[in-house]
Amino acid sequence: MTALRVLISRLGGLFATSARLDEEIAAHLDMLAGELERRGLSPAAARAQARRDFGAITPMREVHRDQRRLPFFDTLAQDLRYALRQLRRSPGFAAAAILTLALGIGANAAIYQVLDAVVFRALPVPHPEQLVLMQLVRNGKPLTFSYPLYREMAARQRVLAGTFAASTESVVLRGRRGIETVHTSLVTGNYFQVLGVSARRGRCFTGADDRAAAPVAVISHAFWQREFAGATALGANLQLNRAMVTVIGIMPPAFFGESAGDVPDIWLPIGMQPLLSPSDWLDAPAFSWLKVTARLKPDVSPTQAATALTALYRQLPGLGSPDYQVQLQPANQILAELNAQTAHPLYILIGITAAVLLIACCNLANLLLGRAAARTHEIGVRLAIGAGRARIVRHLLTESFLLSTLGTLAAGALAWWGSRALIQAQAWHLAVNPTWRALGFTAGIAILATLLFGLVPALSATHFDLLPALAANRRTHSGGRSGQWLGKLLIVVQISTSLLLLSGAALLGLTLWNLRHQDFGFSRGNVLMVDLPVEFGPNMASRSNAVRPVLYDRLQTLPGVRSAAFSACGLMSAWQNTGPISSAERPARKTDYTRFTVVTPHYFETLGIPLIAGRAIDERDRDGAPQVAVLSETAAHTLFGGTNPIGRMVSGSYTFEAGKAFEVVGVAHDVRFSPRDPYAFQIYRPFSKSGFPITEVVVRTAGDPASLVGPVRAAIQDLDPSLAVGDVSTLQQKIDSGLVHERMMALLSGCFGLLALILTSVGVYGVIAYAVARRTREIGIRLALGAARGQVAAMLLRELGPLVLASLVLGAGATLAATRVIRTQLYGVAAGDLTTLGAAACAIALVAALAAWLPARRASRLDPMDALRQQ
Amino acid sequence: MDNRSEVPYGTLDLMVLKTLDTLSPLHGYGIARRIEQVAQGSLELNQGTIYPALLRLEQRAWIASKWGVSDNNRRARFYSITAAGRRQLAAEAKNWSRTVAMVNRLLEGES
Repeated sequence: MTALRVLISRLGGLFATSARLDEEIAAHLDMLAGELERRGLSPAAARAQARRDFGAITPMREVHRDQRRLPFFDTLAQDLRYALRQLRRSPGFAAAAILTLALGIGANAAIYQVLDAVVFRALPVPHPEQLVLMQLVRNGKPLTFSYPLYREMAARQRVLAGTFAASTESVVLRGRRGIETVHTSLVTGNYFQVLGVSARRGRCFTGADDRAAAPVAVISHAFWQREFAGATALGANLQLNRAMVTVIGIMPPAFFGESAGDVPDIWLPIGMQPLLSPSDWLDAPAFSWLKVTARLKPDVSPTQAATALTALYRQLPGLGSPDYQVQLQPANQILAELNAQTAHPLYILIGITAAVLLIACCNLANLLLGRAAARTHEIGVRLAIGAGRARIVRHLLTESFLLSTLGTLAAGALAWWGSRALIQAQAWHLAVNPTWRALGFTAGIAILATLLFGLVPALSATHFDLLPALAANRRTHSGGRSGQWLGKLLIVVQISTSLLLLSGAALLGLTLWNLRHQDFGFSRGNVLMVDLPVEFGPNMASRSNAVRPVLYDRLQTLPGVRSAAFSACGLMSAWQNTGPISSAERPARKTDYTRFTVVTPHYFETLGIPLIAGRAIDERDRDGAPQVAVLSETAAHTLFGGTNPIGRMVSGSYTFEAGKAFEVVGVAHDVRFSPRDPYAFQIYRPFSKSGFPITEVVVRTAGDPASLVGPVRAAIQDLDPSLAVGDVSTLQQKIDSGLVHERMMALLSGCFGLLALILTSVGVYGVIAYAVARRTREIGIRLALGAARGQVAAMLLRELGPLVLASLVLGAGATLAATRVIRTQLYGVAAGDLTTLGAAACAIALVAALAAWLPARRASRLDPMDALRQQ
Repeated sequence: MDNRSEVPYGTLDLMVLKTLDTLSPLHGYGIARRIEQVAQGSLELNQGTIYPALLRLEQRAWIASKWGVSDNNRRARFYSITAAGRRQLAAEAKNWSRTVAMVNRLLEGES
């Protein structure tokens, strides 16, 4: 208790001055002198006698001061002042050190913040551990629910606290900012109640909204910010797929729904489904489209619930089937798997930034080693007059901590900006808030880095024999064996880590190059693609059919257009239509993964897909004409086993049905639908009145496709102003937009690789330049005795040769082991690719040689007389 | 040279506390004078050394201080003992008597 009181009063004393003591001393002396005068002494003699009686003032003041304050802080302040003075004397060094640390620590902290947000992402609802995804499973294959099935199950079950159904749909919004596709979630009225969340403003749905088909909507906080810019939204109307809905609620920012996969912008009552789709699925038991989530009762185990639900399902009249069983998968587990998937590239990135920080620390350690060596004499004097080694290490560490504190402050700003930029680039729905974990991580790596770059040189600088340090009355002492040995070790760490980073960056860069420049099977130059978002609804097919022939003719005659075509679910489309395809010889297999694309005449010509045999879809294939199809090479080969497929029949079912078959009239070259897509089973069919609407317009231009963006858009809007026109971009842009993740990985790893290379070359330069400074006298003697200038340079470079060689061998081993981690990210290049490794090693050797050659050449040009006179 | 001895280690605090117990409030000079008077010339006191002692006691909250005016109209810091200080003084005084008695017994036994 007393000790605490003393500590508090001493902490307060840190800010106090000695004014009070001075005044007390003065008063004391006055009173004492006055007393002595009264006893008959002259004023001068009284004053002198008073001073004697009082005793020595200065030592007393020092004792008083040490007792008043905490001596630890005084030493710290002293060390800090000294360190600041040291840094001010070499501002270049200070700036470089702080910048390096800011980059190294900032990059780590930025990526950690995102990683933290991903790994610790939890469902934004109370008691998420009670939520389970309900699935119907047969032979391990899950099936979604139809609405009638969900309704029956929900009404009859007795083992769940609640259950709701939801389905995510892409919907066209004609909003204040033009036409865009938004994510919506059609949910049953009890959705928000079962999740246990409420709106931030307005209200959520209730069971009444479910049945009333009420055109109402609850919007996400992010969508509110985006569409309404934070202004009043309650009561406002939104036009979705041409249906009008009224906003009744806004969710809190943290709420993203029941799964993190597709984060909805808008929640709609399930009763709105018929308004947004071509057909009504609400009373269709055969139409499985709903994901069902349930909240378990606290006293019922998931196994018990699943058993009870399976029994219930199997005995439902007309809906259940004995082949299926109900499985419950914890929602937390689904989210954790998704989080782990999202986190994987982040682990790679944090590995990269940690390596960069290691290199940066080695660099700083080397610089500080050089500075400490230059201060050997000073440190020797301090040790000789009685300073403890610990005191001097602490003194040197203060400088390091000052550097790292300044660097970490800058790093904090960098991390704040970097983590947000990263999330934006990846379009992740994540809230990055500074957590204690992230702060602790940043502080932790900052301290670790400081100890790494500060402690090692400080210990080495104080660990030497006093006598030679003092006897050699020179400002630059050799720094002791341990210093040189340490410097070399640091260089080895730097070069080998750089090799690892550079190889990794090269592999990721090659991956991006391979993905962009591979053969897609079509010719991407001069092709413009217009997305026409599908506004599903009751009148969708008739509207599309009316506009199709007119628009087709209009586009063909547009100046600058070579050819134009439409497709539904075509190449690079946002839409996909898959299904089985079989021939008489070969039934369809689940693993075929066949895509159906509907095309107009000129499609193959416009996209430059070569026809291998037969003819393309053309003007003959209008509605009512015989049913035809064009197959991709792979599909034709698989279905007809190498025999001529032209004139043969295929059908869109698992086993061949002659009644529903169409004739193969042509075979087209295989194409990739997206960069990582394998060449696949592909079937092209002509448009028909009852089928899919147009989803893309493709135009091959005579000149620069960018110049036609405006005219094509205008032509479409002229014909039908109500038609929603989405993204207009070239095929190359379409390919690139699918490579956002790969581009980011290549860019970040490339930047960090380059940074590592720069830091390493600075490190090598520093070590050789330091060696030159240390050996100036020796070089002078050699030159004076007739050594050729080339010999001197070679002597210095020879010192580096074995180091570089050893580092490259070490680094190559580390690279081969570590790049296995990124093998899932790679494309068209193997993780242990020796050519890439060799190229990276050559680049590093070259850079190191260049960095060493500059100071070596300077040494060889020394004037021997100057060099000898220098000391 | 003479029969004056230095202040025994650790006893200055006790002397200051006792002085303030008798004569509170008192400034630093007054405390020093009082100790010298009681010692009747048998103590060699560097008067300045009482200031670190005063600080030590004040940090432990055994004494308190405030500015006041001395007899000759000089601004001075006046110290007074606190309740905790009185308790501490009692404990220290008992301790001191015990130590002195023990040392005396030891010395008498030796001779």
